[in-house]
Amino acid sequence: MAGGTKRIEIQSQQRLKSLMRDYFLDLDAAAKDPARRVAWCTSVGPCEILVALGFATYFPENHGALLGAKRVSHHYIPHAVGAGYCAESCSYTTADIGAALRKYSPLQEAYGIDGPPRPDVLCYNTNQCREVQDWFQFFGKHHESPVLGICPPRYLGSVSVAHIAFVRTQLQQLVADIESRFHVKLDPAKLQEVVALSSRASALWRRVLDTARSSPSPITFWDGLIHMAPVILMRGSRVAIEYYEELLREMQGRVESGIGAVPAERFRLYWEGMPVWPRVRELSEKCFDLKVSVVASTYCNSWAFEEYDGGDPLEWMARTSTEIFINRDEVFKQSFLLEMRERFAIDGFVFHNARTCPNNTNSRFGLAQRLRDEHELPVLVVDGDLSDGRFFSTAQTMTNLEAFVEQLAELRTPSRACVTGGGKP
Amino acid sequence: MTPPALLPTRRDREALFVGVDAGSSATKCVVIDVAGTLLSQSVVASGFDYAVAAEQALDAALRGIVPSLGGAFWNAPADPLGATGGCRDFPGTTGAKSISAAVAAACRGDEDEAVSALRADIARCVATGYGRANVRFAQSAVTEITCHARGAREWYPQVRAIIDVGGQDTKVIRINARGKLVDYRMNAKCAAGTGTFLESIALKLGVPLRTLDDLALTSTGRTVVNSYCTVFAGTEIIERIKNGEPRQDIALGLFRSIATRVGEMVGARDGAVAATGGVVAHCRAMVKVLEEVLGASVLLPPLPQQAGAYGAALLAREAQWDDVSEDPGAGRRMPGRSACHECSSQG
Ligand code: SF4
Repeated sequence: MAGGTKRIEIQSQQRLKSLMRDYFLDLDAAAKDPARRVAWCTSVGPCEILVALGFATYFPENHGALLGAKRVSHHYIPHAVGAGYCAESCSYTTADIGAALRKYSPLQEAYGIDGPPRPDVLCYNTNQCREVQDWFQFFGKHHESPVLGICPPRYLGSVSVAHIAFVRTQLQQLVADIESRFHVKLDPAKLQEVVALSSRASALWRRVLDTARSSPSPITFWDGLIHMAPVILMRGSRVAIEYYEELLREMQGRVESGIGAVPAERFRLYWEGMPVWPRVRELSEKCFDLKVSVVASTYCNSWAFEEYDGGDPLEWMARTSTEIFINRDEVFKQSFLLEMRERFAIDGFVFHNARTCPNNTNSRFGLAQRLRDEHELPVLVVDGDLSDGRFFSTAQTMTNLEAFVEQLAELRTPSRACVTGGGKP
Repeated sequence: MTPPALLPTRRDREALFVGVDAGSSATKCVVIDVAGTLLSQSVVASGFDYAVAAEQALDAALRGIVPSLGGAFWNAPADPLGATGGCRDFPGTTGAKSISAAVAAACRGDEDEAVSALRADIARCVATGYGRANVRFAQSAVTEITCHARGAREWYPQVRAIIDVGGQDTKVIRINARGKLVDYRMNAKCAAGTGTFLESIALKLGVPLRTLDDLALTSTGRTVVNSYCTVFAGTEIIERIKNGEPRQDIALGLFRSIATRVGEMVGARDGAVAATGGVVAHCRAMVKVLEEVLGASVLLPPLPQQAGAYGAALLAREAQWDDVSEDPGAGRRMPGRSACHECSSQG
């Protein structure tokens, strides 16, 4: 049924719920099974290596997001502050550390497990920020587990062969470290298989996101925040591929039937920066009421890699993880956003100025202003945070969003503002 | 009772348009007629209940019109108590009967009756401000950003930037030569750089805000209170008092602190700047330091605090006209509207 004004739930969500349950129960089982090993990984990091080596992989960033979405971060951040972490450093990190210190996890209520699995090793990639290194160091000490990682060159304009070779060398070293610590041997064919599966899921995810090029868009950024979970957590697995095949079919069906995530879509926005996890529902409802579809985002696109071509898997990992948006310079970022504007027919950009994540905030060095001044694009900057709800003012942000929509509407109506009244008091 | 100087005698037989700005500290109401003429206005404390404050503000504004209704009776061209005419330029509104009822009630000296008759004459109301969703009698809600821009532009068509220093937030709104909203910025969520900042420091110093303003106006000093944070500013002031700095310099320094913050939000200037909001309405020192920081004169509208409500009333009038224009009689010019001064478009 096309048209209508009601929100139509994405059916694949039911499947996703059971996938998530299976994933976390398996992690818990792996942590309790002496024959299995668990690795903690950063979200755009070297997880394929760990998967190929048989580790169950867990992602603390996901836990940080869950704490934010549960709106409990502010209860636990003070405990991390008490342990010496600044209240304005990454709130994923501080909420996660604070929750661990208080032995709390949203996974307890959601899946009846003790919480995050105890790691045998923690592997980070600082392609997104140095915070992950410090975050992992805390948990390495907390669980008395080794912390390994790679540090690629940062803020790149173009990514050169030398850059990739440098990162590849680090990945090789990481493999050697893990092999010697755990007395295992990485099977190159297995790594190839895992990378192929991982990249297949990622390519399908990109196609899902691309369905938002239709108007009305069948999917929004807010939906993407839920449905991106497998592309991060279940990399290298077949279930992730099957899931995205199903989701893609559903989105393509929506496009064919003219079903929009926001049925009466008036404006199409781009969300730049981190989600405001504690306020995702309100923001999504506000956009729905305003008939605004947030059709694309840097965040959801961060896991949409190019497909693996069957070559050197370590090189593919080095390239895809170094090329990501967050690791690029301002010139690249600006051209990327302009490309996204064309690709998704964007009416305006919303930049989230996340208080505790300067790394994933791109309004601080003039990018938003440049889009406005050099390209006459409507741009809104909202203040908030990814996980700590105390940095977010609902009333102010909602007013800002409404005013932005009024601005977009005004830009579409040429004559209205061109008249001045004769009613001087 | 003589109507206030700003208010012209209300012409009979016209629909009324109302704008209500339910702000964090004060609720403002403005009533205009079909031609956009500002007939009456009111300001009441918002208190705990925006809905109640909005009712009070509307009632006060309508009461402000009643004294002028007697004059309307005598000036009316014909059939003042009859059912003909009325809203001739403005189809879709209730029209002559109730307006005449208001005139009749005013002539009888029945103010309450006149107010309810006027209420029946309201063709449309737009609410704005933080409490906009609570204004029950409004047909629609528009943000204070759009409303302040609309109000200020009505007074000053040449304006390109509007600085609104309110109780809860400070906004800088930019419009282009065609009157379109191109950009706006609000202070980050805290009292720094807002009216609340001044109020809390005045409270700390044990003086009313007006005294702080009077003191500041006598200063010739260059003091700037550097802290944006209300709490830190309090500490800084104590330090300055301890060091024997003159009270008037400290007072002006507080206003400078806000103006400096606003200056950062304004950035590069390209055209006339107007200031609106309760703080500029009540504190002349605020305008003085804004001009100093921006290095340019700042336009101060006749009713700075009511700019948002005025803009809302104007938008109510335009929305009504747009609705009517969708009818077969479309194509007529909105009464009182004139062509844009800056481009060739017509209203
Ligand atoms: S990118 Fe930002 S949110 Fe993510 S771990 Fe780093 S600092 Fe935290």
